[in-house]
Amino acid sequence: MTAQEVRLCGLLLREHFGEVVEKVGTQLLRSGAQNLRTIIHETGLSVDLVKKSLMVLVQHGACLFSSGRKGPGSPTEYRSGCDRILRILRYPRYIYTAKTLYGDTGELIIEELLQRGHMTMSGTVKTVADRLTQNMEEGRSMDYSEVSSAFSKLVETHFLQRCPPLAGAGTADSTNPAPGATPATPSTPAAPPTPESFPDCYKVPHMTLVGRGKRQLTAEDGEDQRNAKRQKMDPEAHGDEGIYWQVNFERFHLHFRDQAIISAVANKLDQTSSEIVRTMLRMSEVTTSPAATCTKPLSANEIFRSLPASYNIPRPILDQYLTLLVDDPMEFVGKAGESGGGMYVVNLHRALANLARATLESVVQERFGSRSARIFRLLLRKRHLEQKQVEDFAMIPAKEAKDMLYTLLSQNLVQLQEIPKTPDYAPSRTFYLYTVNQLPTARMLLQNCYKTVANLIERRLFESKESKRLLEKSQRIEAILASLQASGAEPEQLTEVEEMITAPEKQQLDGLRLHINKLDSAENQVDETIFRLESDVNSTATS
Amino acid sequence: MAARGRSRRTLSFSVDSVGINRGESLPPTLQQPTPVFPVMEQKPLPLTGGEEAEYLLALKQDFRGAMRSLPCFIQPAAALRDVERYSDKYHSSEHTDGLMDWTPDWQRFPRELRIHVKKPARDGVSVTRSDAQLAQKKKKKKVREKEEVLLKLETLQKKEEQQSEEDDDNAEQKKKQEDDDADGEEEYDEEEFEEVILYVTCDGSNQSMWTGSGLTKGSVLQETDYIMSYFDNGEDFGGDSDDNMDEAIY
Repeated sequence: MTAQEVRLCGLLLREHFGEVVEKVGTQLLRSGAQNLRTIIHETGLSVDLVKKSLMVLVQHGACLFSSGRKGPGSPTEYRSGCDRILRILRYPRYIYTAKTLYGDTGELIIEELLQRGHMTMSGTVKTVADRLTQNMEEGRSMDYSEVSSAFSKLVETHFLQRCPPLAGAGTADSTNPAPGATPATPSTPAAPPTPESFPDCYKVPHMTLVGRGKRQLTAEDGEDQRNAKRQKMDPEAHGDEGIYWQVNFERFHLHFRDQAIISAVANKLDQTSSEIVRTMLRMSEVTTSPAATCTKPLSANEIFRSLPASYNIPRPILDQYLTLLVDDPMEFVGKAGESGGGMYVVNLHRALANLARATLESVVQERFGSRSARIFRLLLRKRHLEQKQVEDFAMIPAKEAKDMLYTLLSQNLVQLQEIPKTPDYAPSRTFYLYTVNQLPTARMLLQNCYKTVANLIERRLFESKESKRLLEKSQRIEAILASLQASGAEPEQLTEVEEMITAPEKQQLDGLRLHINKLDSAENQVDETIFRLESDVNSTATS
Repeated sequence: MAARGRSRRTLSFSVDSVGINRGESLPPTLQQPTPVFPVMEQKPLPLTGGEEAEYLLALKQDFRGAMRSLPCFIQPAAALRDVERYSDKYHSSEHTDGLMDWTPDWQRFPRELRIHVKKPARDGVSVTRSDAQLAQKKKKKKVREKEEVLLKLETLQKKEEQQSEEDDDNAEQKKKQEDDDADGEEEYDEEEFEEVILYVTCDGSNQSMWTGSGLTKGSVLQETDYIMSYFDNGEDFGGDSDDNMDEAIY
């Protein structure tokens, strides 16, 4: 939990959950596992507010609780992790992916689940059906069964998973003890069980839910309250109480990784090779574990049979493409044997490492120029080089090469390795070699990315705060315009209201919107870099 | 250590192997921290535009806006201003309504996180069992206090009546009378009791009774007879833009 990560998590919590949750969250992140009393003491907030914030954090999976370290009698401890909160940056990408794969219904299901944290299937289906019905024309409404089938499809492809039921957790209230989990023994604190350790993780419950989405009518206040009360009074049981669902981020990350590999192949080679790689990845979706170094070997015959119908390339051409892919220095595809016309694998970890390396090289190129990038690539390839050798291999005059090397060294992108000739490390008798270590450099750049996003968010908040009055005024005027249009006003009234904003104010507003949009898109783009670097760092850590 | 002050010209590393030739001087030493916004030699690349980026941007902004209106967005109570104002009593409880929309599944949370609802129950759903018990206890307490006060008044009244009667009744008659009076008192008190209960339940559920009759929501929630704009203290007036000051503010 670095300082930059904690700062970024605090800003994300503030934007999405409010300042109270931000305080509680940063307290948990900074000081590790604590019990309720410590949190209340350290943050100085009221008991109710702290309890509510903790509930919000647990609901969204950002905080886990377990019985205390001293045994079952000690108060429950809460702990939080940066990873889950940093995922908030990637929510738009998850929603967009669901839209491309499963249409508007899938998009809304994922959006609802991301907004609410954990939800039952019946609750999600109802809310999504209502939302879809809102946007349809008059008289048409969305059937619950369509939404349920989209939900089931998401569960089948593992994009959604059940929340792990609690195994005790210090209270006597858990009604779903997990069949496969071991309860925490007093002496050893059990690690929090992953959702996948439960056998029912991806089983869709049998649910009785029949109906159509309801359109929200603008009723009068009195009627509305009576209806609302009646709805709350009789909650319908649909047969899936107590089963909560959450979004499976790991599965989305695997999908993003596959997309990145396919687009890299398309950029480096051509469209047909990327289709071949896409086919190979699709075939090994279910057989490959998430942490695998490479996919299971696939024979060329199988690949030939599974190619999409639109790509009817003859068999020898496919063999040539496969050979090309294997010989490519990026090493996306490797050959694992000769049986079945050749067994081929996709090297996942190596592909991720190469993608991260490409990211590092482009960072150096954009920051320091193409000649510094040449030196950087040279050092990545040749590992250790002396000053003189760098000048010779890079074909750059000595003085400039020296300057560039020192700039890179001062930015910590290049390291100096000393190799002594004598045991007393005398400077005149020591080799000084320049080197680049990819993994520490990637980690350092990852922290820089977190700092970048935190700065972008702070700047955006600053800009909105500066023009808060103007923004509020424009919102009020929009609300007035909307209500006038709904009640059918004449055009003169509308123009009169629009003129309440003067021209320079309009310019200021437009400029402000442009800045805020730019900052937001920049955050999205930096998050893509974060994803690439993170997947490489995580895959190298596990392998 | 011995050679420290003697010759200032030798450096800690060998000059040749690092590549500094004769006649070149080292760059000047830094005397202050590097500037906060250094000048960039290369301009950064423009952002990737395109349909996908715009859609992602719209999704992000919509998501942020939606989260603000959900019950999990917790607003702290408005900061206290310099002087307490009478209208604070009615304004401060307006914000907390959003929190009651969310009924969490208490079995998934540790027991210590349960919050007791302090306001009297509007509809029995969002109140947990312990809260309902608390509310009932409060009602009972109220009722008991009222009952005690009424009892005291009754006994005082009876005593005056008894003293005004003849004193040469014997103890049994007195006792009988007292018993009768006691029974009468009890009956009387039960009636009082029932009346008192009715009175209390009217108080507790006034919102549900009066909602249909068209009283404005704000006043019923805050238990006043005035609509909420009655409590505007006029401090928000005149805070709008003072640009284009052609007209005076009266």
